[in-house]
Amino acid sequence: MMFKDKVAIVTGGTRGIGREIVLMLAREGAKVVFTYAKSVKEAEGLITQTEKLGVKALGLQIDVREFEKTKELIEKTKAAFGGLDILVNNAGITRDKALMMMTREEWHEVIDTNLNGYFNVTRNAIVTFLKQKSGNIVNISSVSGLIGLARQTNYAASKAGIIGFTKSLAREVALYGIRVNAVAPGFIETDMLSGLKEEFKAKMLEHIPLGRLGKAEDVSAAVKFLLSDAASYITGQVVVVDGGLAIK
Amino acid sequence: MMQDIENDIRNLVAEIIEKDPSEIKSDARFVEDLGVDSMMALEILAGVEKKYKIAIPEEKLADFKTLDSIVVIAREYLSKNA
Repeated sequence: MMFKDKVAIVTGGTRGIGREIVLMLAREGAKVVFTYAKSVKEAEGLITQTEKLGVKALGLQIDVREFEKTKELIEKTKAAFGGLDILVNNAGITRDKALMMMTREEWHEVIDTNLNGYFNVTRNAIVTFLKQKSGNIVNISSVSGLIGLARQTNYAASKAGIIGFTKSLAREVALYGIRVNAVAPGFIETDMLSGLKEEFKAKMLEHIPLGRLGKAEDVSAAVKFLLSDAASYITGQVVVVDGGLAIK
Repeated sequence: MMQDIENDIRNLVAEIIEKDPSEIKSDARFVEDLGVDSMMALEILAGVEKKYKIAIPEEKLADFKTLDSIVVIAREYLSKNA
C-alpha cells in the first residue's frame, strides 16, 4: 500500500476525477478527508465505499470559496487523523459561455471556486507542511488552461492560473521537502462532460490522437505517480493526461 | 526566569538566522534590521514550540516582529500550559 497511514485531503471528492482520486488513495491505505459543496448523497456513498476498502474516509461539506471554512478543513483533518501529508486540489466548476454573453457573476464564480479556492485550501495547509518539512500537493488543472478551449475564458483563466500558482509555490517550498505539481486532464468522461451534445463529443474525438475520451482512472493514475516516491525528483511540473489532444 | 527565556530565544534565533546573539537587540526588527524572511520566522516559531513544548497558532507568525514580541508570545502560551 503506497500511502499507508498518510493523511490526504481531496477537495471536490464526491464526483468525477475527485471521486476516483479518493478511491485510489483509500485503496493505497491513506486516511482521506474529502470535501463537497452540495452532493450529500454521493458523499455518503463514497464514504461507504472507502469503508469497504479498509479506511473510512471523512466527508466534509465545505465551500472552498470560504477561507475560514477551509481553515476548519485543515483543523478537522488534523483532529480526526493526526496530521496532514497530501493535498489534492480538485474542486472546480464550469460556467461555459462565449465571452460576449458571459456575465460578471459567471466569471467570478469560476475564478472564485477554481483559483481562489485552491489558494484558500493551500494557504491553510502550507504552514503545516513547512513546519514538518514534508508535504505533497497536486493541483488539478486542465488542457483548457494550456491551449484554451473556446467558450471557457473563465475556466481557462482559472486553470492557467493554477499552473502559475503550482510553479511558483513549487520553487518556494522545495527546500522544505514539499513537492507541488499539477495534472492537466483533457476530455474525461465525467459529469462535467455529460452535458455536451453528442455531435460536439464526436468532433472532439477527431482531435484526440489516442482516439478515445479519457477516464477518471487515467487522471488518478497520474496523481498517484506524482504523490509517490517514484516522483521524488519531480516538482513544479504539469502532467498532461489528454490522449495527445494538446501535444505541442 | 523571564531573562532566561529572553536569552534562550535570542540564542535560538541567532542559530537560525546565523548571526551572533550579541547582534540581536531585543527591539531590533527581524525583517527590516536583521534580514529575516518568512521561512526563517516559521523556523523560529517551530523552534520555540519545540523548546517550550507549547503550540503557537499560525496566526501569531505575523506578530513575530522583534525578539521582544516573541518573548511575549512565548510567555503567553507558557502560562496557558501552566
